[in-house]
Amino acid sequence: MADEPKIVIGEHVFTREDLFRQDEEARKRRAQLPFEEKIRILVELQKLARHWGGHDVIVWKI
Amino acid sequence: MKEALRALNELKEKGLIRDYAIGGAIAALRWTEPFFTQDLDVFIVPSGESSGEKLIVLSPIYEYLARQGCQWQGHWLVIGGIPVDIFPADPLEEEAIREAAPVEYEGIPTRVITPEYLIPLFLRAGRDKDVRKARMLLEQADVGREKMEGVLVRYGLYERFQQLRER
Repeated sequence: MADEPKIVIGEHVFTREDLFRQDEEARKRRAQLPFEEKIRILVELQKLARHWGGHDVIVWKI
Repeated sequence: MKEALRALNELKEKGLIRDYAIGGAIAALRWTEPFFTQDLDVFIVPSGESSGEKLIVLSPIYEYLARQGCQWQGHWLVIGGIPVDIFPADPLEEEAIREAAPVEYEGIPTRVITPEYLIPLFLRAGRDKDVRKARMLLEQADVGREKMEGVLVRYGLYERFQQLRER
């Protein structure tokens, strides 16, 4: 979109659309992580959820 | 996780089930970026002939797992520290199990339902969280579109897929 504001940080210039596209590309890269690494990340997410008050959250033993 | 997978493989080796595959959120996670979930959903093809009965008896499976030290926690059976839900497969799930991808987790072989079947299964379940996972798979995973569309059509789910794309 021609009128979309540009975001300038130092030498980097990008639009919100650029950010969303990069975000999508990052998600696809993370989708390629090894299965074991994803399970480790899942356990970290479970620990976070428990830390944030999810007292009944089960943290997997892997 | 390894203990849970070993236990599932043992169920098959001992003939307590004919086959199994991992489905649900953990199956989706295999193909997408990691996200939060609590349990491991496992779809099984029980042993023995299908008599068309409405009652599927899974007691031998649970009794075996209990003897291995697994314990109930709420509606989950906890195997090696992992809450597990075991579902006897219906025809779509059975086909998904047959077509499941062989996957290894730290050297332990297992099988995971592929995106071509996960997307129809999530669309069929239809809850918001299931539709979100279907979307994640479409956006992030390598989906065989023709194969998936064949599944959607065979199981009467193509309209739900179209509705998803229109949203």
